[in-house]
Amino acid sequence: MKKIWLPTLALFTSITLAACGGGEDSENSNAEGNSSGDGNWEPEQSLEFVAPSGAGGGWDTTARMAAEGFEEQDIMDQGIGVVNKEGGGGAVGWSYIAGKAENPHHLFVASPPLLLIPLNGQSEYGHEDFTPIANMISDYGAFAVREDAPWDDLNDLFEDMKDSPEDITVIGESSPGSMDHIQFVKIAKEAGVDPQSVKYVSAQDGSTMTNLLNGNADVYSTGVTETVEQVRAGEIKVLGVTAEERLEGDVVEDFPTATEQGIDETFVNWRGFFGPPGMTDEQITYYEEKFKELNDSEFWDETRDKYAWNELYMDSEEYAEFLEDEKESMQELLDEVNVEEE
Amino acid sequence: MGSIEGILSGVQLAFSIEGILFVFLGVLAGTLIGMMPGLGPISAIAIMIPLTYNMDPTVALVLMAGVYYGAVFGGSTSSILLNAPGISGTVATSFDGYPMAQRGEAGKALAVAAIASFFGGTVSVILLMLFAPVLSSVAIVFGPPEYFALMVLGLTAISSLSDGSTVKALISAVLGIMAVTIGIDSQTGTTRFTFNNPNLLEGIDFLVVALGLFALAEVCALIINRNQTSKDRKSLGSLKLSKNDMKDMSGPMGRQSILGFILGVLPGAGATIASFIGYITEKKLAKKPEEFGKGAVRGVAAPETANNAATSGAFVPLLSLGIPGSGTTAVLLGALLVLDIQPGPLLMSEQPQLFWGVIVSMYVGNLFLLILNLPLIPYIAKILAIPRPLLISLVIMFSMIGVYSISFNTFDLYLLVIFGVIGYLMRLFKFPPAPFILAFILGGMMEESFRQAMTMSNNDLSIFINKPIALGMLIAAFLSFTVPIWQGYRSNKKNSA
Repeated sequence: MKKIWLPTLALFTSITLAACGGGEDSENSNAEGNSSGDGNWEPEQSLEFVAPSGAGGGWDTTARMAAEGFEEQDIMDQGIGVVNKEGGGGAVGWSYIAGKAENPHHLFVASPPLLLIPLNGQSEYGHEDFTPIANMISDYGAFAVREDAPWDDLNDLFEDMKDSPEDITVIGESSPGSMDHIQFVKIAKEAGVDPQSVKYVSAQDGSTMTNLLNGNADVYSTGVTETVEQVRAGEIKVLGVTAEERLEGDVVEDFPTATEQGIDETFVNWRGFFGPPGMTDEQITYYEEKFKELNDSEFWDETRDKYAWNELYMDSEEYAEFLEDEKESMQELLDEVNVEEE
Repeated sequence: MGSIEGILSGVQLAFSIEGILFVFLGVLAGTLIGMMPGLGPISAIAIMIPLTYNMDPTVALVLMAGVYYGAVFGGSTSSILLNAPGISGTVATSFDGYPMAQRGEAGKALAVAAIASFFGGTVSVILLMLFAPVLSSVAIVFGPPEYFALMVLGLTAISSLSDGSTVKALISAVLGIMAVTIGIDSQTGTTRFTFNNPNLLEGIDFLVVALGLFALAEVCALIINRNQTSKDRKSLGSLKLSKNDMKDMSGPMGRQSILGFILGVLPGAGATIASFIGYITEKKLAKKPEEFGKGAVRGVAAPETANNAATSGAFVPLLSLGIPGSGTTAVLLGALLVLDIQPGPLLMSEQPQLFWGVIVSMYVGNLFLLILNLPLIPYIAKILAIPRPLLISLVIMFSMIGVYSISFNTFDLYLLVIFGVIGYLMRLFKFPPAPFILAFILGGMMEESFRQAMTMSNNDLSIFINKPIALGMLIAAFLSFTVPIWQGYRSNKKNSA
């Protein structure tokens, strides 16, 4: 029996070593690009759009629709493949792209978690490690309660939360300190609720709506689209959305904004494309133009309608500034919620 | 619109040429993909999504549902023949299916699995049809306290999954619970045991553990013991089931098709828990429980009936509430959104043809699956006749492909090898791997629902007592753990007296 231990240990060690090395393999073989002096750059191989999540989610849909749009509208000459890099709420995909430094053929889709997850210490890469290219759409948060709940608007709810925060459970999909939590805290804080007192439960197995309906949770913090079917069925009501103005569309136009209820705060779930670190100006310009063209196309207009997304285009420079501001306000909120580690 | 009219329009759709064609294609693709070790319904549906982009939504849903239950149907094959479960729902099938195959009864084991799957699938579709509208309210009864209790009940199975030392089974289960804590903690966002490695943030995938502990460990054992392997396992055995076998199967099939369906309806419980609970209840009910784990026909029939029944059950929350009950139905929901179908409480009344069409097509699909699978068994079982060095290489290759296809991440391949080594060492020192995998599957959900419940109740433990369903299951769990000990104590006393 003893003899087996030594080779096993050796095997273990070698595997562990190999595993540690695996993360850093850099395959930026065709990093040079062809920025050939005349100021124009064009991709010389097919492109990869990375959705740092599984198939079927928001990032994935955005990446796939953009790829389809570029193809259908003949905007780009190169073919585009969409790849899912799931894990760590995005962190796995980001570290993959960070390893593609100076290879501008790999882009990825991102939204507020790109700011929040690094702030929570769950990813070593944040937005400043990547090149913002263009923001393509925006989406908003919604706060829903059961149809028979005692609250009729956000102010009712927040008044009760100020009195007895321990009686009201807020549920959301993302982990504490990430999007569903922070969008609620951001609005509640403006209304005078102590951010730290918000009782937030995270359910990442798709049981959020179930727990709202069966009474285990009182408030569901989520995206606007997630609420539509249950509102139509008369099971839940939406007390407020985080948009600046009323949304357009069948059911959603009835959702009041927080602003119109006297709570002067919004939360934008922006979504756009980023490239690896170290892209040249020519490369950024190239992509900016292409994404602008897609944004203005009829195809993208229809896509926005289909998924109830809103228009929010920003070019690289605007985007970078916007992200800095957003990050600052997220940082402030997180400090107050005090979920940040260390 | 009355539901009779709705059902008729569904029948019309399911029996149209298009309906039959696509259900056939779906179950064919599903069962073939499901048979591959390491590839399960999630991969099968993910493969199909791009094909459905421009299809008629109803037909696309019929196709994808076919792929889903077809993959579950076929999933038992690799568990039985190679000890390489491709989905968590067929782990329990390998407990008795693989010993049967080793005994030279591969054909029989596959036939039992096919018949049990067909029975579970068909009975549950009938239940689905009769009760779907009513059950949607049942589907949301379970919240964190109830899930916690259900997981505890599931974990009491550990004692019945050991065939030697209970202590070793418990140690194995504790290791399983430890392994599942790796990753981002869902309730605080803290990273646990990741050593700053981003690949570990999401935790370890079930498939990595299952294929490592079962398939690779088996391969290791085969390689190391290659000189002492006695006889070839070339004989497939007869396909024919004796009257006795049929009688043996009928009880588990009848009970588990109903129990499996109910567990499938609960979001989050699903096929895996149904198959484990099915296996355990049948072991407890059996007259000769000691046969379980050594190649009992009942031990194959119970989990196979249950997991297929649960698969149809999972369509209840998906179609009637728009709530995905499992990872697979979540992917399915994503695919439906792409097709412009938004499942919700109103789907049944607004699109009755789609709702009932899918359900009726499941009868047809299950029939196709039986017709497809039974005649194929002799050919499929021939896999075992492949020369051993080649077979071993194939198992390793397919395990690697299966694991790589989850995340396209090479890091998982290293993990797979590590779990293969752990699995082999566990075998060597007689630690059963089944409690490890059971604890790994249930432990994560148990912890999450416990902590969700505690947050909701402001850390008041009475939340588990005030809810009748949770309390009932906790009592059942307590009894199922203590009664065998008490019986053991009493019989010891008798013997010594």
